[in-house]
Amino acid sequence: MSHDGHHSVVVPAPGPEFVPHTVAHHFDTPVQEFQAAKLGFWLFLATEILLFGGLFAAYFYYHEMYPETFKVGGHQLDWKLGALNTTVLLASSWTMAMGVRSAQTSQKQKTLMFCGLTVLGAAAFMVVKFFEYSAKNEHGFIVFKNLFAPYDEATGQLAWFQPHGTEMANVPHGHMFFAIYLTMTAIHGLHVIIGAGLIVWVMKGVAKGRFHSGYFLPVDLVGLYWHLVDLIWIFLFPLLYLVP
Amino acid sequence: MFALLTQDPAKINYVADPAKAPTLDAFGQLPELASTFGHVDGLFYFTYAVCIFFFVLIVGVLLFSVVKYHRKTFDQPAASNVTHNTPLEVVWTVIPLIIVMVMFAWGFDGCMDMHYAPHAASQNQFKATAKQWSWTFNYPNDPSQSFNEVWIPVDKPVQFVLESTDVLHAFYMPSMRVKRDVIPGRLQTVWFHPKKEGEFHLFCAEYCGDDHSRMYAKVHVVKQSVYDTRPWDQWKDATPAEAAASGESLYKQICASCHSVNGTPSVGPSWKGMFTKQGENYVGRQREVVEGGAKKTITVDDAYITESIQKPDQKKVAEEPYVKNAMTAFPTLEERKIKGLIQYMKSLADAK
Amino acid sequence: MTTNVPVIDAHPAVPSLPKNYLNCSAGFMSWAGTLDHKRIGLMYLIGTGIAFLAGGLFALLVRLHLWEPHGMLFSNETYNQVFTLHGAFMVFLFVIPAIPGSLGNMVMPLMLGAKDVALPRLNLLSFYLWITGAVLATLAIILGGFDTGWTFYTPYSLYTDQAVVSIGLAVFTLGFSSIFTGLNFIVTVHKLRAPGLTWFRMPLFVWAIYATSILQVLATPVLGITVLLVAFERLYHIGIFDPRLGGDPVLFEHFFWFYSHPAVYIMVLPAFGIISELVSVHSRKPLFGYKLIAFSSIAIAIISFLVWGHHMFTSGQSTYAMFAFSFLTFFVAIPTAIKEFSWVATIWKGSIALNSPMLYTLAFLIIFAIGGLTGVILGSLNVDLHLHDTYFVVAHFHYVMMGSIALAFFAGLHHWWPKMFGVMYDETLAKIACGIIFVGFNATFIPQFIMGSQGMPRRYATYVPEFAGYHMASTCGAMLLGCGVALMVYYLVASLLQRKPAMENQWGGVTLDWQTPTPPPLENFHTPPKVVHEVYDYSTLDLHSMQRPIS
Ligand code: HEA
Ligand code: HEA
Ligand code: HEC
Ligand code: CUA
Ligand SMILES: [Cu+2]
Repeated sequence: MSHDGHHSVVVPAPGPEFVPHTVAHHFDTPVQEFQAAKLGFWLFLATEILLFGGLFAAYFYYHEMYPETFKVGGHQLDWKLGALNTTVLLASSWTMAMGVRSAQTSQKQKTLMFCGLTVLGAAAFMVVKFFEYSAKNEHGFIVFKNLFAPYDEATGQLAWFQPHGTEMANVPHGHMFFAIYLTMTAIHGLHVIIGAGLIVWVMKGVAKGRFHSGYFLPVDLVGLYWHLVDLIWIFLFPLLYLVP
Repeated sequence: MFALLTQDPAKINYVADPAKAPTLDAFGQLPELASTFGHVDGLFYFTYAVCIFFFVLIVGVLLFSVVKYHRKTFDQPAASNVTHNTPLEVVWTVIPLIIVMVMFAWGFDGCMDMHYAPHAASQNQFKATAKQWSWTFNYPNDPSQSFNEVWIPVDKPVQFVLESTDVLHAFYMPSMRVKRDVIPGRLQTVWFHPKKEGEFHLFCAEYCGDDHSRMYAKVHVVKQSVYDTRPWDQWKDATPAEAAASGESLYKQICASCHSVNGTPSVGPSWKGMFTKQGENYVGRQREVVEGGAKKTITVDDAYITESIQKPDQKKVAEEPYVKNAMTAFPTLEERKIKGLIQYMKSLADAK
Repeated sequence: MTTNVPVIDAHPAVPSLPKNYLNCSAGFMSWAGTLDHKRIGLMYLIGTGIAFLAGGLFALLVRLHLWEPHGMLFSNETYNQVFTLHGAFMVFLFVIPAIPGSLGNMVMPLMLGAKDVALPRLNLLSFYLWITGAVLATLAIILGGFDTGWTFYTPYSLYTDQAVVSIGLAVFTLGFSSIFTGLNFIVTVHKLRAPGLTWFRMPLFVWAIYATSILQVLATPVLGITVLLVAFERLYHIGIFDPRLGGDPVLFEHFFWFYSHPAVYIMVLPAFGIISELVSVHSRKPLFGYKLIAFSSIAIAIISFLVWGHHMFTSGQSTYAMFAFSFLTFFVAIPTAIKEFSWVATIWKGSIALNSPMLYTLAFLIIFAIGGLTGVILGSLNVDLHLHDTYFVVAHFHYVMMGSIALAFFAGLHHWWPKMFGVMYDETLAKIACGIIFVGFNATFIPQFIMGSQGMPRRYATYVPEFAGYHMASTCGAMLLGCGVALMVYYLVASLLQRKPAMENQWGGVTLDWQTPTPPPLENFHTPPKVVHEVYDYSTLDLHSMQRPIS
């Protein structure tokens, strides 16, 4: 967009390895720009929480309806792996916070390092997730190759849920627990991947020197997003692995 | 989407034979009340009056203002610059509040009446089974069923237990002012106290797919003495043998061209073995059918045969070549003739 | 379409800077990639306008089919698809996005004295999400259509062999379009008000958009996850809504209405905003009870989250739930009644100009009173058990959605048309069209009230013959209504070609949107505005100069 002779506000860079930041044309001050983006992002986080809120509502509804199923289902998950992943995410939340802090204080190398560590954490989380999913696949709790197979009305059997010979075969509607488990963790996993992608994108900007003490808004926002991803897992872990 | 673009006339049933139109009451709005739920009408007309009052008030003020304060020149300022008037605002907050609280209490009270069935109603319990797109009725202390038509005694509270075998439906009788969703997997009931004899509409009021609008049943409210003659059971007087004989002659007239009774394959499946006799009872065979593209196994019973006659495409026999062959529909075949045909099919089991 | 339309040569209003947002740059990319809120608003206007006409065309087909008891045009299945398309197009592609997307985008930043919305890129993204949703919805028609009703009730929507996944994704995308618009507007109102523009100096249109935005942000995600779950259910049978697998279809109803009840206020609050604005300008009188109207918008937004159960009175809720939902439903009527009475009181002793925006406004006030009061009838527990899912409900929501919201939208469109394009339409034709629409509308839906209370169920492709007379009357009304709408489209489009210049301040408004050149320049104001007067203070208006273009 051309600015038709309007002069934009420019925030100077703190050092030669950084680039100055030009405030968007429709804002008067960098503070106004920062606050606007921040408010917008908090609202976005609220919608994310509400989106998961729907899933949590479904979880509680069916937990109430089929307590036995959820109890037994929870036992089928490996709480140790879940706890491991919780630790990984908590640690990555800390590294992300440190990354934001370093960006705010214009420490380019440290920002890159901490962001890199966070991405590693995300990768570790997904690897553990992969092993968990394969285990479910082997037990027949979630047969991935049959996931999209049509439902056989005559037998009433789900193609993706074949828990023969396990405890799950003896509880009512055992698939319900695993359907909710899969849906929630898959959507959460998608958020982890998106978050990791955003952090990589931020790292590119950091490398180019675009973020510094005068302008660190994107780092800040991606940091917030990552904390949200972490926060949702903090709720998922006890609800799914340690079913109350 | 364009496969079946226009109406299939064979499917229209109630257009040919609707129940008598209910007369309207004085206000010309609700249909004539035939149950004890008069509080619905009371509250409806009360609210109606409130609506008319406010409507007249608002339109009156608007019209008056438009005529009186019409802007004559473009630069004319307003006659008043008042921005608020606290007493007035309090008045128009409090008065509607009082009105709606009256309505709330009245409505809730009436709803409780409709929600909790009296003991007498639960002693007189019918069952209505909804499925795409028909109603099947079971009678209290009576083994027989009827299809898309039901008889209830007048002046006696009645309760319907509602069951759905597929999707959502709703049991709706405008004249009785009752409506209740029929939900698969949930037990739902509805009760009312019919006060007037006559024929009444029973609609399906929850959207349930293609023939939602044709999911219609006729409700006959009759004197207890008539009810006691079990009018839904058309062959109650005739002995089973008589009924079967009439069924046989009908079979020879119209069905024999496609159905054998001795097991020979024809256009349609043979009727041999449709029922077997166990003691005094006839038990239907198991039948694999295709409905809406899905296969399922059902037990042959009166309702299934009735449906096969009226809407043969609903459940196709899942067996070559019958899945492909089409049967003529006989949607207007009288109830008693259907009964006769069924009795004849059953009698085939006697012969053995 | 409008790239090069109003280069208004005959309009030497602002010789110092002849460029405005319409002609400052040209070419496809200058529109497709624009970050200017006014251009985005204009694109929304075209898009939602087309969606309305398409939805209206489906409505006319519905009405024609119902001319005869056994249905005149379609098979049952096709009829079901047509009314579903009508409802889904009107709700998701027209009423929800129309006013915030077009008039909100166009006017709200002007009213705030801002150069743009706070997050212009997100604004463009919202628009592209809308386009994506529209494409997906159209794709669903091509893939075989969908016949679930706009409510997608399970388990039918799980079993039917139609393109439910595609329309589900469309609704999901449109939901996020709506969320981002709302989010953007909240930030804009908080952060971009001109100096001196305190909260209680904001025009009520801004208040209304603000309350709407809160609802959009807080309610829409639940719809998003709901349609996503339906799609998952169809793809891999999670069982949550499928009774065959132990799920509960009623849970779906709760999820759906938890969004869709607030959604009806997402639709109507912006319309309230337009009416508040227009009633004041065209009566040239400060709005009666400004603060109460502002607060009542917020009150409606809050209470509307707690009444969703009134759509499910027949589905066997506990009596406690019915008690609460019915009680709160009546409660939401109170702030609305306050608004209605305040508008009427504003007109009282005003200086009333009977131009076309005002005629639409008066039509709104009359029709909304009926629409809202019939809503109150439906909120009564025992009466709703009789009226639920009949044409009474259909008539109720058309009175509020077509008769109120669409008419308010038309009112706003006529009001800001000269601002947006710098041209005036043919006022005589406009008044005639308004009359035809008003008469046609009532002729369409009054018969529906009557047959509904007599027990005519909705979503019926065929019906018992005793209702035939009402259906015929309704169909005739709809045809008349269609003529009115067609006439309106005609003279509005014609005005763009005829280019009869509008006045700088066509109606004598005093809010900031009328303090900038017409049409506005790219960044809205040549000098950043400062607000010193109270809102709607018509004593500050120079009644003399207002009549002519400022020269
Ligand atoms: C924008 C749309 C919109 C709006 C604003 C409203 C407004 C209201 N609606 Fe409506 N409604 C719908 C859209 C809307 N509705 C839709 C789409 C459906 C059906 C969905 C479907 O099933 O497909 C529906 C269905 C619906 C039902 C369910 C019916 C059923 O299916 O059984 C109910 C029940 O309570 C209801 C109630 C109300 C109430 C109380 C209001 C109130 O907000 C109205 C308040 C307004 C007034 C009260 C009028 C103005 C005031 C006065 C004139 C002063 C005097 C007032 C008093 C004395 C009270 N609505
Ligand atoms: C904003 C929402 C909105 C609007 C504006 C309308 C507008 C109209 N609606 Fe709609 N309607 C709904 C939302 C809306 N509707 C919803 C949500 C449902 C429920 C669906 C469901 O059950 O799932 C419904 C259902 C519904 C039914 C019930 C169907 C049934 O239950 O079986 C009917 C029947 O009469 C109907 C009629 C009409 C009519 C006649 C109009 C008229 O007001 C339309 C006026 C507009 C026009 C006439 C357009 C003019 C077009 C032209 C002149 C063509 C020009 C074309 C080009 C230039 C390309 N609607
Ligand atoms: C035009 C040929 C034709 C005529 C005439 C006909 N049918 Fe059929 N019928 C079929 C075919 C083909 C099928 C199998 C396909 C299906 O289920 O729709 C069938 C199926 C049936 C079934 C279900 C059979 C089962 O084994 O489950 C019944 C019951 C039935 N017909 C009854 C009748 C009766 C009663 C009549 C006479 C009033 C009749 N039919 C007349 C062709 C015919
Ligand atoms: Cu059954 Cu509608
Ligand atoms: Cu509602």
